[in-house]
Amino acid sequence: MKAPTRASKLAPIFLVTAFATGMLATPASAQKQGGSITVGLELDITGFDPLKVGVFDTAALTAASAMFETLTYLDDKGETKPKLALSWVPSDDFKTWTFKLRPGVKFHDGTPFNAEAYKANFDRQKDPANKCRCAFYISGVKDVQAPDELTLVYHLADPAVNFPALVSYSNQNAAVQSPTAWKTKGDDYNRNPVGTGPYMLKSWTAGDRMILERNPDYWDKDKIYLDRIILKPLPDAQSRFASLQSGEADLVWDDEWDADNVQKAQKDSKLTVHTYTGSGASVAAFNTKVAPLDDVRVRQALVMALDRKKWSQATTNGLAKPATNPYGDGSWVKCKDDGALPYDVEKAKALIKDYGKPVEFKMLFTATPRGRANGQVLQQFWKQVGANMEIEQVDQATIPPRAFMRQFQVTPWRIVDLADPDTQMYANFHTGSPVALANYSDPELDKLLEDARTTVEIDKRIEDYCAVSRLINKEAIWFWNFQNTYYAISSAKVKGLPKMYSGVIDVSRTWKE
Amino acid sequence: MVFFIARRLLYLVPVLIAVSLLTFSIASLLPGDLAYVILGDQATPEKVAALRADMGLDQPILWRYLGWLGHVLQGDFGRSFRTGQTVLQAVAERLPISIELMLLAQLGALAIGVPVAIICAARSGGPFDRFMTGTAFGMLSVPTFLSAILLIYLFAVELRVLPATGYVPLAEDPLANLRFFVLPSLTLVLAEWPGIMRVLRSDMIATLQEDYIALAKAKGLTPSRILFVHALKPSSLTLVTVTGINIGRLIGGAVIVETIFALPGIGRLLVSAISTRDLIILQGVVLLVAAGFVIMNFIVDTLYAVLDPRIRHGHA
Repeated sequence: MKAPTRASKLAPIFLVTAFATGMLATPASAQKQGGSITVGLELDITGFDPLKVGVFDTAALTAASAMFETLTYLDDKGETKPKLALSWVPSDDFKTWTFKLRPGVKFHDGTPFNAEAYKANFDRQKDPANKCRCAFYISGVKDVQAPDELTLVYHLADPAVNFPALVSYSNQNAAVQSPTAWKTKGDDYNRNPVGTGPYMLKSWTAGDRMILERNPDYWDKDKIYLDRIILKPLPDAQSRFASLQSGEADLVWDDEWDADNVQKAQKDSKLTVHTYTGSGASVAAFNTKVAPLDDVRVRQALVMALDRKKWSQATTNGLAKPATNPYGDGSWVKCKDDGALPYDVEKAKALIKDYGKPVEFKMLFTATPRGRANGQVLQQFWKQVGANMEIEQVDQATIPPRAFMRQFQVTPWRIVDLADPDTQMYANFHTGSPVALANYSDPELDKLLEDARTTVEIDKRIEDYCAVSRLINKEAIWFWNFQNTYYAISSAKVKGLPKMYSGVIDVSRTWKE
Repeated sequence: MVFFIARRLLYLVPVLIAVSLLTFSIASLLPGDLAYVILGDQATPEKVAALRADMGLDQPILWRYLGWLGHVLQGDFGRSFRTGQTVLQAVAERLPISIELMLLAQLGALAIGVPVAIICAARSGGPFDRFMTGTAFGMLSVPTFLSAILLIYLFAVELRVLPATGYVPLAEDPLANLRFFVLPSLTLVLAEWPGIMRVLRSDMIATLQEDYIALAKAKGLTPSRILFVHALKPSSLTLVTVTGINIGRLIGGAVIVETIFALPGIGRLLVSAISTRDLIILQGVVLLVAAGFVIMNFIVDTLYAVLDPRIRHGHA
C-alpha cells in the first residue's frame, strides 16, 4: 500500500525539519469547538503507573493517549511525525538515536518536560529493582541519556532503522509521565496520573467513569476541540451497543466477535463504523521437534486444510480477515509472493497419506467460549484430511509458560501490531530466541532476519521479509489465522478519529458536529 | 433473649474462619498461577520463580493464610497489587451501589409478591391464582441476562425514556440516580418476585386450613382481617428466610445485572478481581460479603424468634 511512498521519503524521515507545527492534516470539514464525548470501553481501567499495571490494555490506551504524549506519532499515511520530539537523527549503524525535544512543554502539575524527565521515566521502568513487567518491552534499549535540557539519546542493543515509529503511541513505555507526581503520590499515583497531554484527569470513579478535562495550557491547544472526555467501562457488548443507540455513549469500543452489532451499525446511517487493519495477526506455532509435527508433510497438510473464509464465517460472521503472512494489511511489508500454501483438501489428504502413520496431536486453546469455537472449527478442518486434533483448553495465563517451556504440540499466539516487524520477527524465528516457539532452526532464515534488521533501504527490507514469509510458509512452522483488525462504532456526528494504529482509540483530537 | 443473641453471635466466628479459609484455598488453587498472570508473555521459569519468592507465593498455603488472617484481624485487608487501592477503599466505593440496588430490588419484589400471594391464597385454585402461578413460573424461567437486554431494548433504545447503562452517585443527583437504577432493579424484581409470591402463597394456603382460622371465620371476622392479621404473620417465616437470603446474596452484588448495566458495584469488583487474579481484593471482598451474609442470616434467625415465640424458647 504505502511501500513505495515510504521508500522515497526515507531521507526526510530521518531528519524531520524542526518546528513542524501542524499536528494533523487539516480535515475536510470545519471543526466545531466545545462539547464533550462519552466513550464506552470494554474494560475497567486499573491505572497508569507502569510499575503497577505492567502493560496498558485497550481501555487504558484510550485514556493514556488523551493524557500523555509520546516523542512521535504516526499520521494517517503511517509516517512518523514530531510530537514531544521535534526532530531526530540516527547514528550510521542505527544503534544510537538522538532526539531534539520540544521546548516549553509542561506536565499538568507544572513540572517542566525535558530530557531529564524523559530519562527518569525510562530509568524507572528499566531499573531491575522495580521488577516492572514493562521492562520486557524496552529490553532492546541499553540506556537513555540526557546530555542537555532538550537532547535525548537512545542507545540500542541492536540496530533499528525505524526506531522513531516504535515510540509513537501512548503505551506503558512511551507515554511520558510526570516524575514529580509519581514521587510525591506514591501508591496513589497509579490512579492520579499526570502527563503533558491535551486532557487532564478531573475525576475518576472506580468502575464507573473517568472524566478528562481540556488542558488550557496545552502546547497545541488550537487542534483540540472538545472540552471534556468521559470514559466509561461498559463490559457487556449488547448493552454497550444499546448505550450507543440510545445516545448515552458517542463512541464505543468493539471487536469482530460482536459481528452482529458491527454489521447492524454498518447499515445504520446514524452510526459510523471505524475500522483499521493493522500489522500482525493471530497465529499458531507447531512444535517441530515432536512427532507427528516434526514432519514437514504433516505440517503442510494441516495448513492446507484451513479454509479461513469458512472459519471467519463460522466465528465472526465473516468479519475476521484471513491472514497469509505475519505482516498484515497495516504493515509496510507488502509481498507480491508471500509463499502462502493454498487451501487444498485433496493435496492435504495426499500428504497425510504419504506420511503413512496416524496423525494425532493436541492443540492448546484458551478456556473461553472463543477458544472452544476456534478449537472446534480447526478440529473439523483437520478431520477432513485425516488428522485428529484433541482440544486442550487451558487458562489464558498458562499459555505463555507452556509455550516457553515448549510443552505443547500446537499453541495459539499473537503477533501484535507494531510499527516495525523487526522486534517480533527476530524474536519469533531467529535460532535460540526463547519465543522461537517452533523449535526450528535454519541458517538461511537467521541470515535473512539479521539482514532485515540492519538494512536501511526499505525495498531491500521488504524483500528480506517476503523471503522470510516464503520460507516459513513453505516449511509450515507457524500458520496465520486472522489479521489484527480493530473496531470502534460512533454516532455519525463524531469526526476526526485518527487511524487506530495498534488498536488505540485516540479521541483527543475529535469533535462533534 | 440476650443469651440467644450472644450464642448466635458466637456461631459467626467459626463460620467466618471457614469461609475465609475456603476462599483463600480456592483463590490459591485457581488455574493460572498469579506469577504467570503478572508476567504474561514473559513468564520464563526463572522470572516466575523470582516473582513467586518475592510475593511469598512459594510459602505453604497455610502459612500464607495465617499471615493474611493476622493482618485482617488488625483491620488491614491489604492493597490491590494492580490498582494500589486498599480493599476497604474499593469496597467502600462500591458497596453503596450494590446496597441501593439490593434494597430497590427487594422492595419492588415484595411490593409485587406479597399482595399477589395473599390474593392467590385467599382464592386458591381460582382463575387469578392459576393465572398468576403460571406467570410466576414463566418469569422464574427467564434468565436475568435476557430480561435485562429486553428491558434495555424497550425502554432505552426504542422508547428512549430510561438510560441503558451507567450511574450517577446518589449524593450528586438523587433523581438522576434513581433513573439509572430503574432498569437494573426492575430486572431483579422480575426475577425475584415469583419466588416470594410462591413461598408466601403456599405457606398461607396451609395456614388458612388451620383450625384457628376456621374459628375466626366462625366468629364472623371479615375476610381481610383474617388474611392480614391472623394468617399473614404466621405464614411469613419462610418469606423472611427467602428475603434474608436474597439480601445477603445481593450484598455480594448482582454480578450479571451490574455487568450489563455497567453499575460499579461489588459484583463487578469481584468479576474483575477474578479475571485479573487480584487475590488480595478477591479474598478481602469475599470475606466482607460473607460476613454480611452471615450477619443477615443472624438477623433473620432473630426475627424468627420475634415472629414465633416457640423458637425463642427452644421448642421449635
